[in-house]
Amino acid sequence: MSMRSVFAIAAGFVLTATAPGVLLAQSEPSDESDAIPFARSAPSEIVPGDPSDPGVSYADILRGFDDQSGWLTFSGDYSGRRHSPLTQIDRENIYRLAPAWTFQTGTLTRGRGFETTPLLYDGVLYVTGSNNFAWALDARTGRPFWTYQRDLPDNLTYGRSAPVNRGFGMLGNRLFMVTLDAHLLAFDRRTGDVLWDVVLADYEIGHAATLAPLVIDDKVIVGISGGEYPTRGFIDAYDPATGDLIWRFYTIPDWGEPGSETWPNEEAAMQGGGATWMTGSYDPELDLLYWGTGNPNPDFYGASRLGDNLYTAAIVALEGATGELKWHYQFTPHDIHDWDSNHVPVQAQLTIDGEERRVVMVANRNGFFYVLDRTDGELLLAEPYTDTTWAREIGADGRPIVLNNDGSGGCLPDQWGATNFMPPTYDPALGLFFVNARETCSSYVPFEPEYVRGEATMGGVVWTDRDAEYGALRAIDVMTGERRWEFRYPSATMAGVMSTAAGLVFAGDHQGNFTAFDGATGENLWYYPTGSRIWGAAAMTYMLDGRQYIVIPSGTTLVAFALPNYEFASPAGAVIGR
Amino acid sequence: MKSTLSHVLAIVCIAVPLHAGAQVSNPFEGDARAIRAGERLYANRCAACHGADGKGATGPDVTMLWLEGTNDEAVFDTIREGVDGAVMPPSFAPDEELWAMVAYLRDISTVPPFDAGDGDAEIGREIFAANCGECHRVNGAGGTLGPDLSNIAAVRSREALIGSIRDPSAAMALGYRTVTLVAANGERIEGVVKGEDAFSIQVVDTDARLQGYLKANLRRFVHEDESLMPRFGRLRLSERELDDLLAFLATQRVDASAAH
Repeated sequence: MSMRSVFAIAAGFVLTATAPGVLLAQSEPSDESDAIPFARSAPSEIVPGDPSDPGVSYADILRGFDDQSGWLTFSGDYSGRRHSPLTQIDRENIYRLAPAWTFQTGTLTRGRGFETTPLLYDGVLYVTGSNNFAWALDARTGRPFWTYQRDLPDNLTYGRSAPVNRGFGMLGNRLFMVTLDAHLLAFDRRTGDVLWDVVLADYEIGHAATLAPLVIDDKVIVGISGGEYPTRGFIDAYDPATGDLIWRFYTIPDWGEPGSETWPNEEAAMQGGGATWMTGSYDPELDLLYWGTGNPNPDFYGASRLGDNLYTAAIVALEGATGELKWHYQFTPHDIHDWDSNHVPVQAQLTIDGEERRVVMVANRNGFFYVLDRTDGELLLAEPYTDTTWAREIGADGRPIVLNNDGSGGCLPDQWGATNFMPPTYDPALGLFFVNARETCSSYVPFEPEYVRGEATMGGVVWTDRDAEYGALRAIDVMTGERRWEFRYPSATMAGVMSTAAGLVFAGDHQGNFTAFDGATGENLWYYPTGSRIWGAAAMTYMLDGRQYIVIPSGTTLVAFALPNYEFASPAGAVIGR
Repeated sequence: MKSTLSHVLAIVCIAVPLHAGAQVSNPFEGDARAIRAGERLYANRCAACHGADGKGATGPDVTMLWLEGTNDEAVFDTIREGVDGAVMPPSFAPDEELWAMVAYLRDISTVPPFDAGDGDAEIGREIFAANCGECHRVNGAGGTLGPDLSNIAAVRSREALIGSIRDPSAAMALGYRTVTLVAANGERIEGVVKGEDAFSIQVVDTDARLQGYLKANLRRFVHEDESLMPRFGRLRLSERELDDLLAFLATQRVDASAAH
């Protein structure tokens, strides 16, 4: 079998070489006589590329990491743990881990690069980038099948200042991506063609959309960005076939509804922020979605919005079928620090006082690590995982005992928080939650903002002592909240974290190092300087041809790592690669 | 407070034909009320990236713009249009607000005229060559370990410069902070830190060599609180000599408009 046919079969496309180095993707079925199905852990009747391939099903996503050659949803599965069962790369051999390929977008970004998690299906990585670019890449080589670029308006608001995207959602043969002008698009994964395009919100008043959609049973769940503007956040469910809106949950209740009494008046509430810009997690048995909500607006000026400002800076649990609120927990009542709670909620099964509890865990931007019962929102544990002086304990009523709200009584976490949206990870075998913590030193000075259409209303200024900051990857014992170990960086990092069943933790730093640690001890086992800060993104991993790949987005590149390829043969016995 | 700003703008708003003629000037230049309004707007819209004091955070230092030869109109246009290929967004705010921000930025960017004093610049040149030139350079001549002082009188007050000479460790500029390394073979290296991550450190040593080190290969490394620049106390540099040195540095001041 020639390399070309291996390439074509693996990817499920017929590739035609029209000129050296130019490959065209066609959505015709393969007629290669020597075609063999690409090996997958779950044998399938379907030949990849066959138009009868129904693509990804809800059942496939439910199986999560069971399919080792797939990564079908943002966190790898619905739990939000980002903990892969793959063990080929382990503590003993990781010193040999080396780049297998690099993909460079060739595009400029406005300050922030890849924050995406690629999805993998059938040997193809589906990747979103800054400024609503997107690609389908051969997962073995990083070579593109198609490229998409959205024609964006030139008067973007939030989307202009943070022109990022965190990934696709996927169902059937469709990909779903949100845009900086606050649309939701559906693509044909085989061609990159847009199948439908619906408006989520008015971008001109401050909205944008940046998160990876979360696909549950026959629904595409998305959230919205723009909490720095006088907007009102929401979580939406769309029909994957048509793009029709199925339900909407506003993170700030209608005036007169429960929760609205935590706002002084309707005007303040209806522009009170509470954006939902980070992908949530899902418990299919409970049919509950867990989603973080962002800061109240104005970010730093609280005098015009006295009260707790529900449901901002909180986690909400919504019924997947209806969008109905089942419970909520507010981490930072009446926040005045831009401490969005837009984190990936991480699910676990813990035995607490002899009782099995289904929990959801959040390392919050306010410096506390929380464990909540995810059936009813009961607070089970809340301990600081940073040195914050904002509060050192959460009272019996579940509210923080605030010691220093503006930084006058010692440093507070800066407006980027004690961590941020970058995904954490949880290793159930170790019972450890790994998060990149930011130790920063800020004080806050509020101003009443001016309201100008299309302008942010931050409402204050933050004074930060950059000399005092550092970053640290921390291992938190989920039963006690104690720090088991940390690894420090010279500055605060925004890199996400992934773990594997080999006991490895993959992280990154602001200087561009992609790093690996022994999860049990914190020993640094390996690192690779990628050349650009790793910012918001976390690694993902998959098996192809018996070889484990680990992909990290960094700047405007994706780098895939694997053990040297001469050590691995394809399932059919042919050596893959050179 | 909203009405205060409107009030300010209403008072100072002058109908000027924008974009008529070669260069548009700021209708609010030097206007104290506009500068105050601009300060508020800056804090609200710009400080998150450019720093509360304008000296840069994730975005660049915006207090050097005029020194670097820009003008009010160019700054206005940058705020209006944003910067392609960078994170800086465009603004849709009214012209008056943008001009108020420009007035504020210009205000915080302006360094008062440097007081050259009554020293002798020619003697100062000799003092510089004997005491400073090994590490500092002016107009291309001198050492590379410390900062270039060609324009220092344009960006620092006389008092700040005296402070830096008498007590250099009080405030060390980023990129000139001292580190002491001990290599595996026991060799001791002093230098200034140009870059550092969890695994490596990039140093210019006292021989002005650019040297990168892996931390794992070092016996130890220490970030020092003391600058590599010695203190020039009165025994080392008399008041008279200090005056002469400052007079020399003052002659190096480059007029921004002439430089560009």
